[in-house]
Amino acid sequence: MRAYLNTISNPWRVFDELMGDFPFDLFDTAMRSRAGRFPRVNVWESEGGLAVQAEVAGVDPEKLDVAVDANVLTIKGEREQADGSRAEFQRSFNLPFELEDAQIKAAVKNGLLTVTIPRKATEKRKIAIEKL
Amino acid sequence: MSLMKKSEQDVQKMNRVELTPASRVLEGEEAYTLTVELPGVSEKEIELTLENRVLSITAENTLETFKDYTLVLHELPEVRYRAAFDLPEHVDTAGIKAANKNGLLILTLPKREEVKPRRIAITAG
Repeated sequence: MRAYLNTISNPWRVFDELMGDFPFDLFDTAMRSRAGRFPRVNVWESEGGLAVQAEVAGVDPEKLDVAVDANVLTIKGEREQADGSRAEFQRSFNLPFELEDAQIKAAVKNGLLTVTIPRKATEKRKIAIEKL
Repeated sequence: MSLMKKSEQDVQKMNRVELTPASRVLEGEEAYTLTVELPGVSEKEIELTLENRVLSITAENTLETFKDYTLVLHELPEVRYRAAFDLPEHVDTAGIKAANKNGLLILTLPKREEVKPRRIAITAG
């Protein structure tokens, strides 16, 4: 029951738990062979915003593109794989809140991309109730 | 002192998953180029050793943790990369060079002079 509640409060977990049912080795191999097109990530969330870490070994920082459109974050780029071929990769995240696209910060270090984006401030509006 | 006692850092190191990194070897006329994918690994976390013509690579990645943030999607574990390569006799082990670029470890393994292609001049007689 606790796990179930956890799933509701944290929708990201659904994916995690589904993947967790696979034997670990299979999961690992599958993810690694796909890493060229689909980089693995860690996503962090807070009241203030979002932080994403993505594995992009062999990527030329110039060929990396991070974009936000309302509540969709897209990371794409081109990288040189260990076998020498070039591969384009892209991954998008549909987020439960809007992000401030003007304030994206992205940095690449040792083939690890770190992106931080603040949430868009939502205006709270009080609606006056008219007396009839 | 207890044999069981380990510092937190040691425990963390022990808990790391071991992976074989993706790699490739290309042969050139002068040298072989060995490329190993080590995303998130800084130079000082790479250990390269050569023993009996076996080149061993051990590396650990560093993942920044964000204070006051919750990890909501976790696909990147802290890992230890481990790989070993048997070097052929004709590699000049003294001339091995290593460079780290964009998360790729690039090793240049020069060939010994006697196996490099060379032009033999023919003297007219």
